[in-house]
Amino acid sequence: MTAAAAYLAGRRRAQGAGLDRVLPYLLLAPTLLLLLAVVLYPIGYGIRQSFLNFRFGHAVGSVGLDNYRQLFSDPAFGQALWVTLKFVVLAVTIETVLGLGLALLVANELPFTRIARLVLIVPMIVTPIVVGIVFRLIYASDVGLLTTLRTDIFGSGQVFILDKGWSAFLGLVALDVWEWTPLMFLILLAGLQSLPIEPFEAARVDGAGDWRVFLDQTLPMLRPVLAVAIALRTIDAFTTFDQVFVLTKGGPGTSTQLISIYGYNTAFKFTEFGYGTAMLLTVALVVLALAALTVRLIRRQAVS
Amino acid sequence: MRRWLGAVVLLLVLVIVLVPIAFMVGTSFKSNAEITQDLHLWPHTWTGSNYSRLFRDSYFGQYFRNSFIVCSASVLVSLVFGSLAAYSLARFKLLLRMEQWLGFAILTVRILPPVVIVVPLFLVALKFHLLNSWLGLILVYSAFNVSFVVWMMESFFREIPIDLEEASMVDGSSRMTAFRRIVLPLAAPGLVATAIFAVIVTYNEFLVALVLTSSPGSQTIPVGASTLITRIDIDWGAMAAAGVLAAVPIIVFALIVQRHLVRGLTLGAVK
Repeated sequence: MTAAAAYLAGRRRAQGAGLDRVLPYLLLAPTLLLLLAVVLYPIGYGIRQSFLNFRFGHAVGSVGLDNYRQLFSDPAFGQALWVTLKFVVLAVTIETVLGLGLALLVANELPFTRIARLVLIVPMIVTPIVVGIVFRLIYASDVGLLTTLRTDIFGSGQVFILDKGWSAFLGLVALDVWEWTPLMFLILLAGLQSLPIEPFEAARVDGAGDWRVFLDQTLPMLRPVLAVAIALRTIDAFTTFDQVFVLTKGGPGTSTQLISIYGYNTAFKFTEFGYGTAMLLTVALVVLALAALTVRLIRRQAVS
Repeated sequence: MRRWLGAVVLLLVLVIVLVPIAFMVGTSFKSNAEITQDLHLWPHTWTGSNYSRLFRDSYFGQYFRNSFIVCSASVLVSLVFGSLAAYSLARFKLLLRMEQWLGFAILTVRILPPVVIVVPLFLVALKFHLLNSWLGLILVYSAFNVSFVVWMMESFFREIPIDLEEASMVDGSSRMTAFRRIVLPLAAPGLVATAIFAVIVTYNEFLVALVLTSSPGSQTIPVGASTLITRIDIDWGAMAAAGVLAAVPIIVFALIVQRHLVRGLTLGAVK
């Protein structure tokens, strides 16, 4: 009787231990299977497709690495890459400088900081498609906000933004700055407010001016947060799509044709899935490298 | 002096942020005659005609339904899957020291923008007949969200003292009972914050939905709004109204939960 009870108890314990050993993997399984099916498998499938030639949306044979070679001889790809680089560098630089400047100004609590935070969240959580609509309404040369303002102030006159290449490009940069400077600002503000006070007081006692304190104390201490923010923004800006799709569809000409728009058009407008996949996978490699870098930065942040 | 400068600049920024949105809202309540002939920021006579036209002539009702279903299903799935995985990473020692790097590897998926895998996703969905279905969108969004959930919840679980579960397990409850009764309630604020962020990202997603759906029966609000404005190029009133309708659910949602937003937006880089 007691022996049997002891046996049963022992067995239960052993089973429990067995379950405990596989439990962690059982818990992970659904997530890993989902990622395998929806992320890894399509990527593998896409790599296979990128070696194929498509006619009218159907695979018509293997072309080896031709789709990748074509990237180097396709002037439109080079142009799209150049537009994207210009866009990313310009937009992220402006956002960082404005965001940092604003964060430094507001670092000491202002009377309406709470409401300001509330308002500033709006551009970055509002649907990107809607941001595109907002800016089409701003830039519309016949009824837009800019034309309206000019009419109100000067009595007449239209403002043309989306008709010329360079102004459409700058219009797109302005859209991005409007949408994402608040995020930069909020991240950097949180970063600033988490800094210790002592080094600043010590520097003040030593008689350092505002500019010196900023260069010697603030900037170095803020660097990790700044790095993460810039890296995240760069990846995001590099693959901007929705807003351009609504605002200009890449035009006029190719002046706002970012790499994402060109890749999308190649695959879905011209149904060259092989070449489109090859192009976007190449972009993916760049982004993946940036993402890995970002994760490292975040990891360092999380550890410290 | 500096304080004043800060206040003035901040006020200016708020104006720059708000005026474009106000202009869209104002335009959406103007008649098209007023929009083209009478250039002013705010309507003289308010009319709801743009909105009633949208609901009469387009599928906005269906778009809302699709967004609601796809959003809630995929957020729910990713919360369940992701919390379990995160708990595993936070509490166990795993083979190959997975608990140390798997979370970061999964986070990479969240950072990878949809545009880089959208063509393969389309081809795979085509192969498995998942185009024009809620299921296709739910699967993709669940995968995108789950990576974010794992990342957020792992750090929340790590903050909960392990003694609490162990005490409960000494009292005879199993590991999963302890997880359900002790750990989950304590991690609830984190779970809520994570869910909120997943809802916003999923609701706003455009490209994958654009590629995977082409009929009103499965298109979400952003896709619906974009196809609408391609069709009605110069109907500015309807365009503005579509923008407002698409924005309202998410803005209301975000304002209710704004305290939790910044941490989510920065992938936990700022606590």
